Amino acid sequence: MPSLDEGTPLFVQIAGQLADDIVDGQLTEGTRVPSTNELAAFYRINPATAAKGINMLVDEGVLEKRRGIGMFVADGAREQLLAARRKLFAEQYVGPMVAEANRLGIDNDTLVSLVKETSANNASANNGGKTR
Amino acid sequence: MTPTISVAGLSRRYRGHTALDNISLTVEPDTVTGLLGRNGAGKTTLLRIITGLEFPTDGEVTVFGAVPAENEAVLRRMVFVREEQSYPDFRVGTAIRVASWFYPYWSAELAEQLIADFELPLSRRIGRLSRGMRSAVGIVIGLAARAELTLFDEPYAGLDAVARQLFYDRLLTDYAEHPRTIVLSTHLVDEVANLLEHVVMLDHGRVALDAPTDEIRGTAMTVSGPATAVEEFVAGGPVWHRQAVASRASVVVPGPFDAAAQARARALHLSLEPLSLQQLLVHASGGAAQEKVCA
Amino acid sequence: MRMKTLVNVARYHLVDRLMYVAVPWAILAFSFLINLAIAAMAPRQPGGMYTGGLVSIYVFLLICGVLSMTRELPFGLMLGVSRRSYYLGTALLVLALGVAYGLALTALQAVERATGGWGLSLHYFQVPWIMNGPWYQTWVTSFVLLVLFFLYGMWYGLVYRRWNLFGLLTFAAAQVLVALAVVTVVTLTHSWSAFGHFLTTVQAPALAGVLAALAIALGLGGFSTIRRVTI
Repeated sequence: MPSLDEGTPLFVQIAGQLADDIVDGQLTEGTRVPSTNELAAFYRINPATAAKGINMLVDEGVLEKRRGIGMFVADGAREQLLAARRKLFAEQYVGPMVAEANRLGIDNDTLVSLVKETSANNASANNGGKTR
Repeated sequence: MTPTISVAGLSRRYRGHTALDNISLTVEPDTVTGLLGRNGAGKTTLLRIITGLEFPTDGEVTVFGAVPAENEAVLRRMVFVREEQSYPDFRVGTAIRVASWFYPYWSAELAEQLIADFELPLSRRIGRLSRGMRSAVGIVIGLAARAELTLFDEPYAGLDAVARQLFYDRLLTDYAEHPRTIVLSTHLVDEVANLLEHVVMLDHGRVALDAPTDEIRGTAMTVSGPATAVEEFVAGGPVWHRQAVASRASVVVPGPFDAAAQARARALHLSLEPLSLQQLLVHASGGAAQEKVCA
Repeated sequence: MRMKTLVNVARYHLVDRLMYVAVPWAILAFSFLINLAIAAMAPRQPGGMYTGGLVSIYVFLLICGVLSMTRELPFGLMLGVSRRSYYLGTALLVLALGVAYGLALTALQAVERATGGWGLSLHYFQVPWIMNGPWYQTWVTSFVLLVLFFLYGMWYGLVYRRWNLFGLLTFAAAQVLVALAVVTVVTLTHSWSAFGHFLTTVQAPALAGVLAALAIALGLGGFSTIRRVTI
């Protein structure tokens, strides 16, 4: 069971984990996402919290509600999430990496070749599974 | 929407001791509220007044819009599971069966399931049960009653961690399918933190904290690492707690931190940990957190 | 206050059928058989043999009364019942038991009369002056006595709950003092013979009336006492 941390509001984390699943391709467009009660039972949280998380994604247009049936992944949800995450990529991942590299005395050229090397290793390890 | 419970200026004084001092709060319908605080903070007294078992000295309490004391229209819509409930010389099955007569929404299937879950021996006298099993009887009645207002006052005395988790799980599932207003008084805060939508904390008979759980999460962080780096990082801001060993230090400060602050912390080799709800409350009862999180 | 709730409270007490039904009658039966055996073995007395064995059932109802307000109260109040409903539901039970048990005692008395005291001139179910008359009188008198004993027991339970051990002792002591005062007054005014004469002339209906008034007073008093009981 994925763990929830103490720092951010639970509903934000729930929404985040659902978004992760969409980005990873676990939840494809048009699939039904778990109901509020199912999520609540799974994470052992209050159903109202689960509902808040789902509603947040509905408000963002990532999920859509089909009356009487449930919540579904909206068309274009993945692209939408990817776009938003790409925007944050530099700030969340590149920034810290550069700062750490500087601290360790790794210059930019070494850093770039490290990135290429790691990327190649990952690709062969995945055996052409996920595309990035 | 009318609050399910409305407390205004409530005080309860005994000879030589004030249990509750000018308390005001509301509990909204169909929510799970945690009533937290140290032993002797006044949680049980508050619950007893809400359920009409005790009477206020000052102030007013209304439940479902009416005064609960001796008011059956209100009392029959509530169930109160207490920490130490005394039963007549009944067998387990008898007590549960008798309870079913009094609650209009009683669910026999849920009762059956819970009896099986807690492995309660139906034909044994309650007086001969272990403390944990006695608590389980109270929990079975409290959950199966499906009362519109369900109050628990540390109902798990003697229950081991597995049984407690079972209680939380069943509570959650049934609450999801049959919403109702739940007030849960506990000092095992971290176990139930994820169930609570709202938190009310009492300290020496006063309300120390009254806020939605989401608002409280992340409002305090522990910053730890090399002492000089820690001091540099938190300089200029309030520090709620300080601890040091050799050249390492650990302080508690208000949070959360934005990305820039987090990056700075990383650069200084500091680790940032948000405080758990339980830890937050410990600090809140010290008074420091009040300005930050009071609703 | 709904009838259904009151009935449920009555049912709640009756769950302990052992205490409320089985034991009182078992003790009565046992005591009766003992008396029967004694009557069979002892020489016949003129006027028959009167015993006080009947008192056992009343004492038992007194105990039930105490229990109803002590051991059985906390769980009862947990079930979403107001104190007044609990009290009235209990009172309802008492009235029903009084009627039913009174009827049983009346029936047994009739059998006793018909068999000439069980063939041994044993007057177990007939009590001089109080329960010796027509069947309806027996029924009413035993009904009132049963209710009175139960209410008296309830009072002890309530006093204990409301004012704890100290209150209970005060309650008992006060009654002893009152009784002592009455005895003192009667002795000092040399009224014992008058008192004795009064007792022989008292009619069963009048007695039942006085006891009923006492029961009603106790009942009302208990009703207002329970309002501030906390568990």
